[in-house]
Amino acid sequence: MLQGALAGLAAGGVYAVIAVCLTLMAQLVKVINFSQAAIGMFGAFIAVMFAEADVPQGLAVFLGILCGVVLSGLIGWIIATWLPEASISARSAVTVASLLLLISMSYILFGTKPKTFRAIFPGPAFEVGGVVVSQVTVVMVALAIVVAIAAKVVLSKTGVGTTLRAIADRPVAAELMGVPVKPFAIGVWLVTGLIVAVAIAIVAPTQTSDAASLSLLVIPASAAALVGGFRRLDLAVIGGLGLGMLQGATAQFPELSLVRDWIPLVLIVVFLLWNQRKEVWDAAR
Amino acid sequence: MPLVDTLFRSRRISPLVFGVVAVLVAFALSALLPTYLVYLAITAIVATIALLGLGIVTGTAGMIALCQLTFAAVGAWIVSLFTVLDVPGGYILWLVAGGVVAGLAGVVIGLPALRLRGVNLAVVTLGFAAAADATLLKTQFPGAPQGTKVPRPEGFLDDRGFFFFCAIVLVVIAVAVHYLQRSRFGSGWRSVAFSERGTASAGTSVRLAKLSAFAVSAAIAGIAGGLIAGQVGTAYPAGFSTIQSLALYVLAIVSGAYLIEMAVFGGILWVLIPELLKRFGIPQDWGFVVFGALGIQALTTNSNLGQDLRNALTKRRHRRGAGTSTGLVPLSDEAFEASLQASGSGSGSGKPLLTVTGLSVSFGQVKALQNVDLTVDEGAIVGLIGPNGAGKSTFVDAVAGFLPQHEGTVRLGGDALDGLPPHKRARLGLRRTFQQDRVPPSLTVGDYVAFIARGEAEPVAIAEVLAFIGCPPASTRIVNVDVGTRRLVEVAANLAAKPRLLVLDEPAAGLSHEEHVAFGQRLRMIPARYGTSILIIEHDLDLVRSVCSSITVLNFGAVLASGSQETVMNDPEVLKAYMGETEML
Amino acid sequence: MNTHADVTAGAGASGTLVLDDLTVSRGIGPVISHVSLAVVPGSITAVVGPNGAGKTSLLESISGVIQAGSGSAVFDGVDITKLSRRRRAKLGIVHVEQGRAIFPSLTVRENLQLASRDASVVQSTLEYFPELEKRLDSATALLSGGEQQMVVLARAFAARPKVLLIDEMSLGLAPVVFLRLLPIVQQFAATGVGVLLVEQFAQLALGISTDALVITSGRVSYAGPASRLLDEPDTLRKAYLG
Repeated sequence: MLQGALAGLAAGGVYAVIAVCLTLMAQLVKVINFSQAAIGMFGAFIAVMFAEADVPQGLAVFLGILCGVVLSGLIGWIIATWLPEASISARSAVTVASLLLLISMSYILFGTKPKTFRAIFPGPAFEVGGVVVSQVTVVMVALAIVVAIAAKVVLSKTGVGTTLRAIADRPVAAELMGVPVKPFAIGVWLVTGLIVAVAIAIVAPTQTSDAASLSLLVIPASAAALVGGFRRLDLAVIGGLGLGMLQGATAQFPELSLVRDWIPLVLIVVFLLWNQRKEVWDAAR
Repeated sequence: MPLVDTLFRSRRISPLVFGVVAVLVAFALSALLPTYLVYLAITAIVATIALLGLGIVTGTAGMIALCQLTFAAVGAWIVSLFTVLDVPGGYILWLVAGGVVAGLAGVVIGLPALRLRGVNLAVVTLGFAAAADATLLKTQFPGAPQGTKVPRPEGFLDDRGFFFFCAIVLVVIAVAVHYLQRSRFGSGWRSVAFSERGTASAGTSVRLAKLSAFAVSAAIAGIAGGLIAGQVGTAYPAGFSTIQSLALYVLAIVSGAYLIEMAVFGGILWVLIPELLKRFGIPQDWGFVVFGALGIQALTTNSNLGQDLRNALTKRRHRRGAGTSTGLVPLSDEAFEASLQASGSGSGSGKPLLTVTGLSVSFGQVKALQNVDLTVDEGAIVGLIGPNGAGKSTFVDAVAGFLPQHEGTVRLGGDALDGLPPHKRARLGLRRTFQQDRVPPSLTVGDYVAFIARGEAEPVAIAEVLAFIGCPPASTRIVNVDVGTRRLVEVAANLAAKPRLLVLDEPAAGLSHEEHVAFGQRLRMIPARYGTSILIIEHDLDLVRSVCSSITVLNFGAVLASGSQETVMNDPEVLKAYMGETEML
Repeated sequence: MNTHADVTAGAGASGTLVLDDLTVSRGIGPVISHVSLAVVPGSITAVVGPNGAGKTSLLESISGVIQAGSGSAVFDGVDITKLSRRRRAKLGIVHVEQGRAIFPSLTVRENLQLASRDASVVQSTLEYFPELEKRLDSATALLSGGEQQMVVLARAFAARPKVLLIDEMSLGLAPVVFLRLLPIVQQFAATGVGVLLVEQFAQLALGISTDALVITSGRVSYAGPASRLLDEPDTLRKAYLG
């Protein structure tokens, strides 16, 4: 059990990182970004492509991450330009289309076969009670926690954070005060693109690394984000790590292999119901 | 549908006749199509059916659903299972069973998600698609490992025959969808896409409207899945992947699949684009790239091919009647007096209808309403006035059931309304109109009135009430009606429902002075004519003075004065609240 | 001063906002038709009229929340008709929206800092609203309605506007609070800021205003000195009826 749970922690870390990004996006730029993980996937595949062309690994990874950042910014720019005052559903629908676009583009550019990634953090980090904890696990968990804390600090302690919260509260009022809302929004897209690209570049070597599986990491991640109601970063991290460990633990039992696939969906449904247990009428509609 | 619509309206062809013609065309096609196209054509028809279902959820009801092919897989799974078990009844019955089970799956998936708002359905359906995808990859379809073939129905055994069979299924579903779209269900779907509050206030459960759209869509997908099983013989998970569901969703958006002929167009694109790419030796994955790019374009510009084509077609025929004035003209004094004589005054019977006691609402630290009491007698017209921001609209929201956290009690006649959701209150005879425009532009005036009236009004009654309030005729599309007139249409529609109490929230804002006078006259005739009492929030004190027997004044969330018109209007406290306001002149 | 001839004459003066024949449409049909007016520094123009007449739309078209269909808006000699909201804000047009447009998740201090990074500006603004001083670090969402409206006004003042658009300051406020805010606006205007004041309480708004505009059904039915409307109730009544 413990071994399985710890083995699932690396996946939990990447769920947590993506969940934090999803939460930030939902709060700050009012979108559920279905292409969040796909952006990271695309960056990671670009890195592999460069690595296969004998570009040094460090440079290849850097180029891949850069590509993820640019892609994220591009989608953000499209949404900020054409749907500045649209509802969260309308904005999120665009990211569904971009998810489809990114997956099919990756099939064309990189083929449909899973890729072999060279690990950035190879090997074990340490042992707990006879169970080996890999470097990737340590790095992913640390990354999730650091990103969540950093986001919290930036939002509550800095001028940029104040401006971002103001935009989240009332984008039009912020714009009327001379706040450059669009650049800030694109900035959020760039930063989350960066975080996710880094996370997926690190974790891809340990996961089923075909385009669709990596892109659909967004599903367990949104389950984790729902634990925090798409509002709380700390609960998003806990939800991600917990979900990863739960899946890891069930992986120990082959008879549970079918159940395992349904855990994220069950979690999504349970937390949706919990978050919205009181009927609230949407003021706008 | 517009093509279908115009055919029906202008040449009086019923959808059934159109269906028969379509079946004949399909029969001709099944005989004439080149052999290599027949199989592709089946795929196009099946995609069209799935798109028709998806169009109801995404287009008509405005939700994001990302698991259409998973529901198709449910249908295919049932048909495959029944083949293995050799369930009696044969393919056609299994097909129906697949649709029913998929519809039930839609209810199970939709039930938790549709309690909720926003993009939740998208998250849940994507999760469902991925989980089902993973499971299917492990378990495979029943009989698939053994290579069991799903038998096609007798008489449609070869590809040409099966094409004809699929075409018949498509026509049946299309006609059914057409009637559903035009039914109260369909109006409910359109209404919920535009405004949830507006839908609930019409006595329609928002949850039920969404759930019915989702379940119907899933059931149609299930039938499409059963057809796929019949087409390929042995179903494989690869045909029902999450990615393809995403692509189908995007295609539904791009083509505007809530219009029936656009679903056909979408189904053809589904086959045509990859086929063309293959012809030119381009990898077929570019097909989904094209869909994705078209999807982003359609979503960001809020347009779709179907709507664009439809606009291009209708622009030539319809010149937009952009009249800003309404048909609301004052009656002459004699005519008005005569009609009042015939119907009686508006002072009420003295029997209380609406009784509100101790109503309080707070938003955080801000107390919006404090301990408000108000009574509306049967047959009376009561005015609720007060400065902007005094809490009048909050009062209406609370009475109508949109603020369940309020304190105090609300009774309508013998019924206690506390704790009831808005649609139940509406069904008990409490109707309201909104300050903001909540009239769905995708309906015609007549369909809207019929929807709001919940079957209370026949076409003749609808025409009568529209004429009474000075609204455009029933066949007018609401898109072509200006916002001020939409408010009047809303009033007329709610009158057609013959409620016990009608609450009007600033119905006359934006009307000209003359229209105000005319509107006031109509209001006074309502209690006797429709058996409806009125609570009206209004700023124009001339109007209030001319229609209301008694008045309650709210100021800063509390009742400042209440009583007959004369006492309230002469109350020095009221004058002070308006701070020497011109409206009191 | 709001006649058409005056409008064009006043166009050159620095810090003056001039609307010329402005028309704004929403959905089908115009909400504001052919409105011309000029707001000079230090003046207060009351904009009054029945609900739904288009007063809010007028302010929104000046600050850029909605785009004007035809006609022009010129501020300080710059044609702002097509400028972004942000550019207009940078030019010194500040819009106090209807319904207490606070940033609820920010503290009072952060609300003010958003308008000005300069601590001395924030401090001098607080002199208009001494009661905010002790609430500086409270979340704005927890303030009373009156205090929230003060935060919104203080934020607008701290942005150092050249022209201030105020929409229904009295909305949901106890009369006593509103009566306290009016002279503050008057004081602030006296520092050389042009104010366009949309208000439901016509008499009170006219009482502190130099000029007046009555709008009914999207059209100007009176433009002239505020005092005339106060002195001649009949003129005001006629203007209201369109």
